[in-house]
Amino acid sequence: MKREKPSKIVIASCCIMGAGQLLSKQWIKGLLYLFIFAAYVTYMVTSGMNDIKGFFTLGTVRGDAWLGIQGDDSIMMMLRGIFAFLLTAMFVALHISNVKDAKGLAKRLEVGKELPGFLQATQIFLDKKFYIVALLLPVIGVLIFNVLPIIFMILISFTNYGGDIVPPELVDWIGLGNFEKILSLTEIKDTFFRILSWNFVWAFLATAVNYFGGLGLALLLNKKCVKHKGFWRMFPILAYAVPGFITMLAFKFMFSYGGPINYYITMSGHSAIGFLDIDAGWTARIIGIAVNAWITIPTSMLLATGILSNMNTDLYEAASIDGASKWKQFIKITLPFVVFSTTPVLITNFIGNFNNFGVFYFLRGGLYNDGYFLASDTDLLINWLYNLSIDNNYYGIGAAISLIIFIITSVFSLLVYVRSDAYKKEDTYR
Amino acid sequence: MSKKIDSVVTHMILIAVCLVFVFPILWLVLASFSKSGSIYDIDGFFPSEFSFNSYHKLFVDTAMYDYPNWLQNTLYVAFFSSLIGTVLVILTAYTISRFTFKSRKMLMKSTLVLSMFPSFMGMTAVYLMMVNFGLINQLWSLILIYAAGAPMGYLVQKGYFDTISNTIYEAARIDGASNFTIFVKVTLPLAKPMLVYTALTQFAWPWSDFILPNLLLKNKDLWTVAVGLTHLGETEFTRFAAGAVFIAVPIVALYFALSRFLVVGVSQGAVKE
Repeated sequence: MKREKPSKIVIASCCIMGAGQLLSKQWIKGLLYLFIFAAYVTYMVTSGMNDIKGFFTLGTVRGDAWLGIQGDDSIMMMLRGIFAFLLTAMFVALHISNVKDAKGLAKRLEVGKELPGFLQATQIFLDKKFYIVALLLPVIGVLIFNVLPIIFMILISFTNYGGDIVPPELVDWIGLGNFEKILSLTEIKDTFFRILSWNFVWAFLATAVNYFGGLGLALLLNKKCVKHKGFWRMFPILAYAVPGFITMLAFKFMFSYGGPINYYITMSGHSAIGFLDIDAGWTARIIGIAVNAWITIPTSMLLATGILSNMNTDLYEAASIDGASKWKQFIKITLPFVVFSTTPVLITNFIGNFNNFGVFYFLRGGLYNDGYFLASDTDLLINWLYNLSIDNNYYGIGAAISLIIFIITSVFSLLVYVRSDAYKKEDTYR
Repeated sequence: MSKKIDSVVTHMILIAVCLVFVFPILWLVLASFSKSGSIYDIDGFFPSEFSFNSYHKLFVDTAMYDYPNWLQNTLYVAFFSSLIGTVLVILTAYTISRFTFKSRKMLMKSTLVLSMFPSFMGMTAVYLMMVNFGLINQLWSLILIYAAGAPMGYLVQKGYFDTISNTIYEAARIDGASNFTIFVKVTLPLAKPMLVYTALTQFAWPWSDFILPNLLLKNKDLWTVAVGLTHLGETEFTRFAAGAVFIAVPIVALYFALSRFLVVGVSQGAVKE
């Protein structure tokens, strides 16, 4: 039986996917590669090229129902363009694997080894490269539902999509236009900086309240005189277990005009207070912080309990022998230890609070204050983002704000990342 | 003497704190058993007359607010998201913990970067894409999104798999077991508690999520409980309370059954994040 020269196989596979495999009589594998190659080429010729072109122009024909002109749908064109790029990337990856495979075949032929049959090869692949098989579905899922949307949103932030410019109007690339708008257009700029400063104040206050609240509660439960710790711990856990949206809606009812708090206020002869009304200002903000504390203190309590139980108690004995007061022991021993071991969590909590959508959405969602562009004085950036992009279709500006949030969060996350022992030591026990 | 005062003060603070935590819940539970339906008819925190009226209405008077249907949708979404999501998370966590391969570090880093994007950013995009592809108003698109996003939170599970000693795998390998066999016959039985924990947390998330279904389900018969309950105003307050209690009870029971894992899960996730 005459065999082709090994080097020829590699070259053939480089030119046409699967050709080398066919030359070395790997029929099924070769045909599969060839089939994918043909499918990709057909796709590119029939629509792929146009889709990629459309990605850059975002449409040239404006639709007009009156004149019966079928216009270009810019957003669809962008999505199809992204799709074409992704397919191309996948094709390139597959092509590389095909060349590698051909190289492997060539090597085997050179030393005169028998080539494995298709079934056998598949079996070997499934076992040796189990991680590829196992991760295939999760990775595809994350790519489609997490990565693709993020890429799409990043691209949207560089277009003028939204407001009046939705199909059939044509969307255009405007570079950094949205970011310029946020930082210079008076109405939006004022709103942005007001919300940003409140957002930081909120994140600091909420994190501090939750952290020290949880720590305090854990210390209280850790006291020697407290018996039946499990019983006391049950109550915060109960609060923790109730779904967040129920808690937040219930608190909204509690502070509403007909709610129990206003009932007692009116009973005592005063007029009802609009705790969460449009002009409530700091009242609503403080209620927000309290509600958030109610929801998150149980989690930080659980965390602090876990950390306190890992603590070395010898230190306290030594300290009391030296005559240190309880307060001094707390400041000098407990606090440094707890703060040290929870720094990453503290920053994660800070980020979580910075992007806390639920509290103010449920308590006061949909209110727009004067002096704010489509937002209220309790709204955080993430709420504003929702108002802009979901309720009012300002997609471009909304996407730009998401990117700004991303930058802020990633700076803080980087702090965690650099400091976290868990990451640094990730490889030590491997 | 001072010890006694200390103990009394401690317990008083504890009682106050526990009251703060339990009172809103108690109020809601009591309201769900109130005879009248509107929040204005309840005298302060305590209803004047009790009955099962609200629960009865919740399941029978479905013309305006079809609670049984919401419940069915929620169950459907939560069950299948949990099923698919658990498989994906366990696969991801096991593979990343057990195998060292070229793109491993890169995968871990990219999930970290991805998690820094505000969750809303992706959701707005998913919404826009679903609208453009006409996939809005589908329960299964919700399931896909929940399940596909699940592997992003693989760290707790990975931490668990990291604790399983490599020698077990090596022994099985020497006995000639393939990687797939090892996963099914060795890993899964060892990871049973983690499987349970994962399945339940994956179930609890869609069960109590509001944002995504509110975004993607515009059709009234597709509402989940969370979406439906937000549409109940002050005059339907006890119906809200009853509906809330009914959906919260299984989740609360679940958390208590899981409280053993809870501390571990919270601290693990925290340290690894």
